Amino acid sequence: MTHPDTEHHDGTSDATPGGVEAARRPGELGFAIVLALASAALLYNAYGIAGFEALSSPGAIPMATTLAMLIAAVAIVVKTARLPKITGETLSRDIFPTAAIVFAVLLLGYGLLLQPFGFLPTSALFLIVAIKYLSKRSWLYTATVSIGSLVVIWLIFRIVFTVLMPAGIMPEAEFIQFFRNMFQGAK
Amino acid sequence: MDAFMAFLTVFSHPELLLLVGVGTFAGVYVGAIPGLSVTMAVSILISFTFSWDVLPAISLMIGIYMGGVYGGSRTAILLNIPGAPSAIATALDGFPMAKRGEAGTAIGVTTVMSFIGGFIGIGVLALAAPFVSDFALTFQPRDYMLLAILGVLLVGSLSSGSLLKGIFAGALGIAIGAVGRDPLTFTSRFTFDLSIMESGISFIAVMIGMFGVSEALLQLQHVNKASIRQKISRIVPSLKTVRKHLPLSMQTSTIGVIIGALPGTGGDIAALMAYDHAKRVTKNPERPFGDGAIEGLVAPETANNAAVGGAFIPMMTLGIPGDAVTAIMIGALYIHGLNPGPMLMVDQPDMFWFIVGALITANFFMLLFGLTGIRLFTKIVEMPRSVLIPLIMLLSIVGAYAVNNSITDVYWMLGFGFFGYFMRHYGYPLGPVILGVILSRLLDDNWRRAIISEREDLGRFFYGIVTSPLSLTLFIAVLLIFVSQTPIWSWGKAKLFGRKQGQS
Amino acid sequence: MKKTVFGAVSALVLGMSGAMAQDYPTKEIQGIIQWGAGGSTDTVMRSVTPHAEDVLGGTIVMQNMTGGVGAIALNHVAGQKADGYSLLMGAENPLLYKVMGLGDKDYTDFTPISILALGTPILVASPDAPFDDYAGMMDYINEHPGELRMGATGPGGLPSVVTAMMNTVEGDLDVISVPYDGDGPALTALQGNAIDVMPAVLGAAIEGIRAGKMKPLAVFDLDANDKLPDAPIVTSFNADYSDYLPWGPFFGVFVKKGTPDDVVTKLSAAYAEAAKSPDFVELMDNRGFSMLAISGDEAEAFLNKWQQNTAWLLDDAGLTKKSPEDFGIMRPAEK
Repeated sequence: MTHPDTEHHDGTSDATPGGVEAARRPGELGFAIVLALASAALLYNAYGIAGFEALSSPGAIPMATTLAMLIAAVAIVVKTARLPKITGETLSRDIFPTAAIVFAVLLLGYGLLLQPFGFLPTSALFLIVAIKYLSKRSWLYTATVSIGSLVVIWLIFRIVFTVLMPAGIMPEAEFIQFFRNMFQGAK
Repeated sequence: MDAFMAFLTVFSHPELLLLVGVGTFAGVYVGAIPGLSVTMAVSILISFTFSWDVLPAISLMIGIYMGGVYGGSRTAILLNIPGAPSAIATALDGFPMAKRGEAGTAIGVTTVMSFIGGFIGIGVLALAAPFVSDFALTFQPRDYMLLAILGVLLVGSLSSGSLLKGIFAGALGIAIGAVGRDPLTFTSRFTFDLSIMESGISFIAVMIGMFGVSEALLQLQHVNKASIRQKISRIVPSLKTVRKHLPLSMQTSTIGVIIGALPGTGGDIAALMAYDHAKRVTKNPERPFGDGAIEGLVAPETANNAAVGGAFIPMMTLGIPGDAVTAIMIGALYIHGLNPGPMLMVDQPDMFWFIVGALITANFFMLLFGLTGIRLFTKIVEMPRSVLIPLIMLLSIVGAYAVNNSITDVYWMLGFGFFGYFMRHYGYPLGPVILGVILSRLLDDNWRRAIISEREDLGRFFYGIVTSPLSLTLFIAVLLIFVSQTPIWSWGKAKLFGRKQGQS
Repeated sequence: MKKTVFGAVSALVLGMSGAMAQDYPTKEIQGIIQWGAGGSTDTVMRSVTPHAEDVLGGTIVMQNMTGGVGAIALNHVAGQKADGYSLLMGAENPLLYKVMGLGDKDYTDFTPISILALGTPILVASPDAPFDDYAGMMDYINEHPGELRMGATGPGGLPSVVTAMMNTVEGDLDVISVPYDGDGPALTALQGNAIDVMPAVLGAAIEGIRAGKMKPLAVFDLDANDKLPDAPIVTSFNADYSDYLPWGPFFGVFVKKGTPDDVVTKLSAAYAEAAKSPDFVELMDNRGFSMLAISGDEAEAFLNKWQQNTAWLLDDAGLTKKSPEDFGIMRPAEK
């Protein structure tokens, strides 16, 4: 298959996935090995569900699928190992660059803070740090864009769709009830 | 005559017309945001419209449903993040078009095709509902299982890179779908004795992570690149284009109606099967599939909108939901004092015709709202990436949380986001993973039901397959598709037809 | 505008300093529904709660939290403060979590606000089944051992309890038990002849029976049901069933144990009032549920008795993971 534009091999289109067919990208073999090991572990786990008790056991399909995973993964490892290494790509520049690491840390931090801190403060912090880091524009711009979009998202999800995001340190429920009362009082 | 009057109810009552319109408009946006689902919107509407009359309440719900199924395609085309599972196949060719600056054309085709699909679905509902629902009821567990296997075989057409990696991804998806307590026996599967694993992994969380977060992470490498200017001059596809794809859209709509009418399968499976079908029957697409083939948009979009009409078929004729949304609508009908069931069509045929009328209205509104306001939508892709990327991530988080109000889902979503990021880098297709998760329960549950019903006897099981015309047809289809994907096929074909045709 | 901001701030301060119970509710109440949208628990809760809101003068935001046969929702509410701002809207299943090995919490960790309604089980058959009533089915099972396909919904569900009852009363039945993930899909399968017989809640089967798409074999109750007066009651075939009846699934609203008494009283009153509203009564009637709307000690006693009866029935049928004795669930007194 011909690739119409060079951006394709980063995988931003799913139908023609990333990767390079005829060469091995940095870390690709390691990834394949991890998948093979994980498949083996899952197969063992699937065997533990019910063993070979019956064709209809809850472990039957899981065992079949994890076996398929293991076979495919081992074949991928063998195939990948035979490919020549790609030239001109490094793990730290092309696969997991600084920006991706920064966002990995940011998202991890978000996950940890969401429950104790609550949705609004955590999200505001995340957006401000992320947008400032990426855009390198002024604090005023960053804060306006972040808070503005956060308010829109909050209104849609919390008010219209009544999704109860963790409130954390913000007394959201009291706040909303207050406005509701005021609104109903005015009617 | 009465039926005709009931059919016209929506058109003769401005307030009902307005409600369908408002619903459709809202639906397009609800559908476009990953994590906000039509199911969620409709269940909130139950409380909201509690004190209303039944007709306005149903009007609003139908509008949201129709608009929402269509809306999922928007973000799939513009951001490569399907707004709903039924739009996964749409992203495969829609996003490559947006990358060329042809988002306007893609949305235009999608809208018109959704309209056509929707119309066929409603047409079948209006004219052949009892017939189709009787047919849907004849599906036995083994038939559902064969259908699921047919679905699993789509892995081949969803992974144009390495088939091995596609198989791995598909099997992984099925395994993900099995995590948690098995709904049939409550046995723990892949839970590693952790209580957070008990409830399983929400497949919306997997989808949002793999498509949303991993996409945003990849975009980080292009953060300073100028965003693609979108040409939005030619939105409405020419009559010639529509006419050219009409035969295909008829076929894929039929797939949509039938899959939609089957209780337990819906628009998501229909869209993927239709995509696969299009790939098989289209001999010479203008562009290869996966690079922006128009047929790759036509098929899933006609199918998932046709599935809407399909889902109403068992609901109206038997009181059996065709999917999650119609399940909630059945609840709504109960609340409003009706008794949905096989007698509804007999006792209150007006309700049936009213719903058909409302669906048609919603379909027209969908066309209207789909073809307008595209400029606003394309502005989203033209936003600076430094703002867009963090926003996609935040929306992914909120969306994953909203599905089941669960922080655990957020963690899964983030985990699969990073996993998907590496999968993309190393050429593993993501579509098969989602396909696997969608089909996991269908395959697993029905295999077990089928083999239990035959007393664990494989001989009886196969005897059952060959003696039922439906099962036999499905079984032959499975065999044919399987063989066509293996090397033997191309070898045999080359022998038979000469090398030239064997290549395609 | 200034006034608004000031008001909002003072409301925040008020909210944070912890309002008195007589002001309850001062903020939104969360209602966590144990089952998914469109299910019967969901329908019941979404139709009764708006009436309760009117009485209460507050807002109840309802959320579906599914998974773990409802255990996820139960544990979530159990993890919240006992202040009456988190309601659990559920069905009967949690009373069996302990014996089924599904969790270590059940309704004993909660205070019932209202047990709204009780369902009646009914045994239905597909129209093509070669028998027309309960006695005919028993004959068929005896003549064709291991051929009858009976629907099930996993251990602890209504079909498993009814099946346990049948095994206890009639002796072990040699049938194939085909598992489904809810009575809806199972009844669909019944109409398509994928299974022959299904124990279900009356409300779910009633429309199908009226249309002739299912045959009623026996109503599992002591008296004939006024919705289906012609359907025979199971005790007319075998009087031994009366030891276990009436039995049925129920719906209820709960708060965590330790919630202030006046809040519980206020909520109970609101739901008691709401359960009287004509459209709710009509809805329950149409679906074949009998109204209970009990609260306080009466509800506690009801839950207790239900748990004893059902847990021991399942235990005797060998379906439990752990003995009810381990959790101090007493064997019901012999009648």
